[in-house]
Amino acid sequence: MDEWKPNPTIKPHKKRSWYLAWKYKLMNQRALRKLCQTGAVLFLLVTVIVNIKLILDTRRAAYEEEEESAQDYDDEMLNVEVPRHPVSNKKVLDVEVYSSRSKVYVAVDGTTVLEDEAREQGRGIHVIVLNQATGHVMAKRVFDTYSPHEDEAMVLFLNMVARGRILIFTIKDEGSFHLKDTAKNVLKSLGSQVAPFLSWRDMWTFVGKKGGEVYGEKHAKSPALSTWGDPVLLKTEVHLTSVEDAECHWPDTELNRRRKRFCSKVEGYGSVCSCKDPTPIEFNPDPLKDNKVFDVPVAVIAGNRPNYLYRMLRSLLSAQGVNPQMITVFIDGYYEEPMDVVELFGLSGIQHTPISIKNARVSQHYKASLTATFNLFPDAKFAVVLEEDLDISVDFFSFLSQSIHLLEEDESLYCISAWNDQGYEHTAEDPSLLYRVETMPGLGWVLRKSLYKDELEPKWPTPEKLWDWDMWMRMPEQRKGRECIIPDISRSYHFGIVGLNMNGYFHEAYFKKHKFNTVPNVQLKNVESLRKDAYETEIHRLLGEAEVLDHSKNPCEDSFVPDTEGRVYVMFIRMEQEADFTTWTQLAKCLHIWDLDVRGNHKGLWRLFRKRNHFLVVGVPASPYSSKKPSSVTPIFMEPPAKEEGAVAVPAVAAAEQT
Amino acid sequence: MQKINKNVVLALLSLTSLVFLLFQLYYYKFYLSHKNGAGFTKVRGIQSGQDSTRWHVVRKFLGLISSHNVPVYLIDPLILGLVDKDIEQIRSSPYGPSPECKYFCVPRDFTTFALLYKTWKREVGLFRTAEKMGFQWLKIINKDPRLDGMDDLSGVEVPLHYIFKLASHAIHLVVFYERSGNYLWHGPLRLKQHMDRTFVPFRKLHFGRYPGAYGKPELLLVSIDDLEVQIPKNPSSFLEEMSHSRFLECRYREARAFFQLYPDDASLDAVEFRKKAKSLLHLAALTLNNLGVKFWLSSGTCLGWYRQCNVIPHSKDVDLGVFIRDYTADIIPAFQKAGLPLKHKFGKVEDSLELSFQGEDDVKLDIFFFYEEDDHIWNGGTQAKSGKKFKYLFPKFTLCWTEFIELKVHVPCETLQYVETNYGPDWEVPVKTWDWKTSPSNVQYNGVWPVDEWDDVIQIY
Repeated sequence: MDEWKPNPTIKPHKKRSWYLAWKYKLMNQRALRKLCQTGAVLFLLVTVIVNIKLILDTRRAAYEEEEESAQDYDDEMLNVEVPRHPVSNKKVLDVEVYSSRSKVYVAVDGTTVLEDEAREQGRGIHVIVLNQATGHVMAKRVFDTYSPHEDEAMVLFLNMVARGRILIFTIKDEGSFHLKDTAKNVLKSLGSQVAPFLSWRDMWTFVGKKGGEVYGEKHAKSPALSTWGDPVLLKTEVHLTSVEDAECHWPDTELNRRRKRFCSKVEGYGSVCSCKDPTPIEFNPDPLKDNKVFDVPVAVIAGNRPNYLYRMLRSLLSAQGVNPQMITVFIDGYYEEPMDVVELFGLSGIQHTPISIKNARVSQHYKASLTATFNLFPDAKFAVVLEEDLDISVDFFSFLSQSIHLLEEDESLYCISAWNDQGYEHTAEDPSLLYRVETMPGLGWVLRKSLYKDELEPKWPTPEKLWDWDMWMRMPEQRKGRECIIPDISRSYHFGIVGLNMNGYFHEAYFKKHKFNTVPNVQLKNVESLRKDAYETEIHRLLGEAEVLDHSKNPCEDSFVPDTEGRVYVMFIRMEQEADFTTWTQLAKCLHIWDLDVRGNHKGLWRLFRKRNHFLVVGVPASPYSSKKPSSVTPIFMEPPAKEEGAVAVPAVAAAEQT
Repeated sequence: MQKINKNVVLALLSLTSLVFLLFQLYYYKFYLSHKNGAGFTKVRGIQSGQDSTRWHVVRKFLGLISSHNVPVYLIDPLILGLVDKDIEQIRSSPYGPSPECKYFCVPRDFTTFALLYKTWKREVGLFRTAEKMGFQWLKIINKDPRLDGMDDLSGVEVPLHYIFKLASHAIHLVVFYERSGNYLWHGPLRLKQHMDRTFVPFRKLHFGRYPGAYGKPELLLVSIDDLEVQIPKNPSSFLEEMSHSRFLECRYREARAFFQLYPDDASLDAVEFRKKAKSLLHLAALTLNNLGVKFWLSSGTCLGWYRQCNVIPHSKDVDLGVFIRDYTADIIPAFQKAGLPLKHKFGKVEDSLELSFQGEDDVKLDIFFFYEEDDHIWNGGTQAKSGKKFKYLFPKFTLCWTEFIELKVHVPCETLQYVETNYGPDWEVPVKTWDWKTSPSNVQYNGVWPVDEWDDVIQIY
C-alpha cells in the first residue's frame, strides 16, 4: 500500500472541480490517504462481521421465540408414543394347534392366542377365526359339543364367518358326543376329512380356510371307551392374502368405513359384514311427536358380552324416538370387542376399570356409570338405565315420553320401569295399561337425578360390600315407601342366558315366556290415574266393579277363572301382616310367574291377567283393600309344600337379579 | 498489479457486504413474517389484499360450518370489541348491508369462534369438506374434563380446540362443554409432542393459555361486514367475563391420594352433613349471585375443595369470603328472604366485618369480609364474650373459577398459598379439633373492641 499513487491515466484537468482539488490534495497527503483506505477496508470488514452476527442473532431469537411460544402450550405429560405393533409384511404364518384331554392351545407365529388347561371347563370344540390378511384373531369360541344343542350353535357360528377367513379347530376332552351329522357335514365342507368319523374322546386339530384350501389336519383315535386319544400337535403354515382380498368392496361412505373397521377386526356378527347386501347399521326409526325423552341420557351398562351388546344396540337404535347422541355405553373392563361394537354403531363408549369382585363389581360399575352419565349431561333431570342383555321395545321411548312427567311431579314415585316382573305370556294382556308397584323391577328403567345425587350416590354400597345394587335399591332404607310405574306388557325383554346370576335353566323358567310389546306407538291409557291419590281412586273403582271369584275352587286350576274375556275378577288370599307372603308365593308358583321373591305388589294387591280377564289378588287382612271382601268369602290359604323338592335350588337363585 | 489487487479486494468486500445486507433484509423479513404468522401487516402496500383475505377466510369458514350444521358463535375479543362500539346500530338493523369492511378486515392473525359441543352432531364429513376447501386443520384433544374426577374411567378423549388455517389467516374454534354447575367450560390448549409447533403462532391465541369458565351466553344473529354470524347478545359483558374466566380444575388425583391415606367418612351423619352443606352453599351462591356480590370459598370450605374435592364432613359450617368493597347492605335482608336468618354480626364495615347465617339444622354459613392493603389482604374475627379482635393475614391473591359440588364458584387462584397461610404446612393432615382463635397459622391478636361499641360490633341473635 505504500506505493499507492494517483492513477496516471487521469490527466490533470484544467477545470478541476473543488472536489477533485480536494481529493488531489488528500491524495497528496500520504498518511491521510492511507488512513482512509484502511478505514474503508475496516469498515467493510466490520459490516460483514456485524451482518453475520445479526443473522446468527435473529436466527437464535427466532428459535427462542418459537421455543418459548410453544412452552405455554406444551402438554406437561411426557407423551411417549407407544410404538405400534410392527405390521409384519410376512406372507406366511406359522400355526401350532394342540389338542388333548386336559389342555388345548393355539399359537400363531409363536404367540399363544389360546391356552386352556383349566380343569372342569373348556370342554368341547374350540374354534378360532383369523383374518386371512393380517393374521389377527377375530373370534374365539368354544362349543361344548359333548352337550346337546351346542353343535347347532357351532353351525350357526360357522355359517356366519365370512368366506376366506382362516378357521382353527381343536378339541379339549370330548367333542363328539352330541356332534350331529349336520355339524359334521359343515366341518366336512370346510375340508376336514376326519370330521365325519370323529368319535368318542378322539383328539382332533384342523386348520383351513373357509371356502378354500386346507392347511393341515391331525387326529388321534381313542383306543377304548375309557381312555382318550393321544395328544396331537399340528404344525402348519398359512399363506396370507393381501388386505384388499380380505375386504369387501362396499361404497366408500362414513357408515361403510365404520363397518370395514369392524369387520376386519371381529367375526361372528353375521350379515353385518356380508359383502353383498350387508345389514344396515343405521336405522333411522320414525321420530316421536312431542318426544319428552329426546334429551334424556341413556346409559347402557355392559360387560364382556359383545354379541349381546350388538343385539341390544340394534334394538335400541331401532326404537322410535331414540336419540343416539344421548347414548353412552359403559363397559366394565378393558375389553376390545364390546368397544368395537359400540364404534360400529357410531356411539360413544367408556371403559371402566373393574373394582372389586362379583356383585360388588357390578354395583361399582353401576355407580361409576350413573355418576359419569350425570356428569356428561349436567342438564339432565333423568337417566334411562339399560343393560346389555335387553331387547328394547319399538315403543320404549314412546312409553317413557308419555309417563316421564309423573316421575317429575309425583314425589311418591321411585322409578319408571319398562319391565313387569309378572308380565308373562299368559298373565299380561294390555299394552296401554300401567301399574304402580312397590318393588323395583330394573331391566330398563328411568332414574331421577335428584334421587341419585341426593340419596343414592352418597351412600352407595362400598366395594367391600358384596351387595347387589338392585337388591340394595329395593331395601326400605332406600326406597322409603316410594313406588315404581310399570307397564302391563314389558317394554324390554331379557334375553341374556349367560350372566352373573343366570343360567340356561333359570332363564327358561323365569324369563323366556315373558311378554314383550311389539306394537308401535301404543297410546297409554289413563296416565294421570297413576298419581298417588288418583291411583287409589282407580283401584277402588276397579275393586268395586270386580266380580268375586268362587273361593271354593282351587285357584291353581284353569277353571278357577270363568271362560270370559275382558272382565274384572277378584280373589282374596290370606295375608296376616304386611310381610306375610306365604299364600301369594304358592299362588305365584302354580300360576308359573315370578315366585322367588315378592314382586309387583301394591298395598297387598296384585294385578295381572288370566284368560284375558283382569285378575286382582287381595291379601286379607293386611291389605287396606280387604274391606272390599264380602263377609261370606273366606280368604284362600295355601301352604308351602313340605321342604324337600326344589328347596335346594330356590335359595341359590333367590338373590337372582336379572343381570 | 498491487493497485489492481487493492481494487479487487475493495470491490469484493463491497460485494460481500452488499450480499450480506440483502441477506439480512431477507432474513429480517422472514423472521418477521414468522413472528406474525400472517405477516406482511407492516407493509402498507398490500394491506388491503391482506384485509380481504381475512374476510374471505372467515366467509369460507362460515360457509363450511353452516353447510354441516355446526352452530358456532363469534367470541373473538378484537372483533367483539369493535362490534360492541356499534352494538346499538347493529342490533337495530341486524341485516343491513355494510358499506365497508369494518370488522373482519382488521389486522389480526386469528378469528376466534366458539362451538357448543352438545349442539354439534359429530360428523367427520366436516373435516373432509374443510380439506377440499383448502383448509389445513389441527385438532387438540384431551381427557374429558367432565369425567376427570373419576380415575377409573378411560377411553374418553374429547376435542378441546380446532384450528383451521387458510392462506395467511387462521380460525380458532374453541369447544365449550356444559358442566355440572350450569356453566360452560373450555379447555387449555396444550400441544402434544408430535404436533407442529409452527402451525400457527400459538402464543397469540386469545383462548387456551388456561382453561376457562363462562356462563351460558344469549346469542344474537347479526350481519356484520355482510356475513351472518352469531355473537353474544351483550359483547361487552362477554369481554368482561373473558377477562377473568380462568378456571382451576380440582386436584382429583391428590384428593384420591388423600382419601387413600385418610379414608372418607361414610357415616350417615357425614352423608347428611354434606347434603346440608351442599344445599346451603347452593342457596348462598344463588343469593349472592343475584345481588351481584362476588364471593369465594374460604377457610375450611376452601381447604375441603383443595384437599379432597369435597366438603369436609367434620367442618360443621360453610365459609365464604367477600371483598369489603363488594359489601352491600342488601346482603342480610336477601339471606333472610332466602330463609337464612342472621345468627351473628361481628365488626363493622370499616373493620373486621363478619356475618353468620343460620342454615338448616345447625349448619352455619359464615361470610368473612376481606380488607385489601398494599401488600396483603386480611379479614377479622371477634370473640363474643371478651370483645377480643383477631386478624388473619393473607398474601395478595386473585380469583379463579372452579367447580365444587355441582356449583361454579370462585377460589383464590393461588390456592396453595392461601391454604398454607391459613392452615400451615401440615394442611394435608386432617385436624378434628380446631380453634379459630389459635389454630390458624396466620392469626394475629388485634386488640379489643372499645366497650361502648360492643352493642354495634357484637350482635348475636
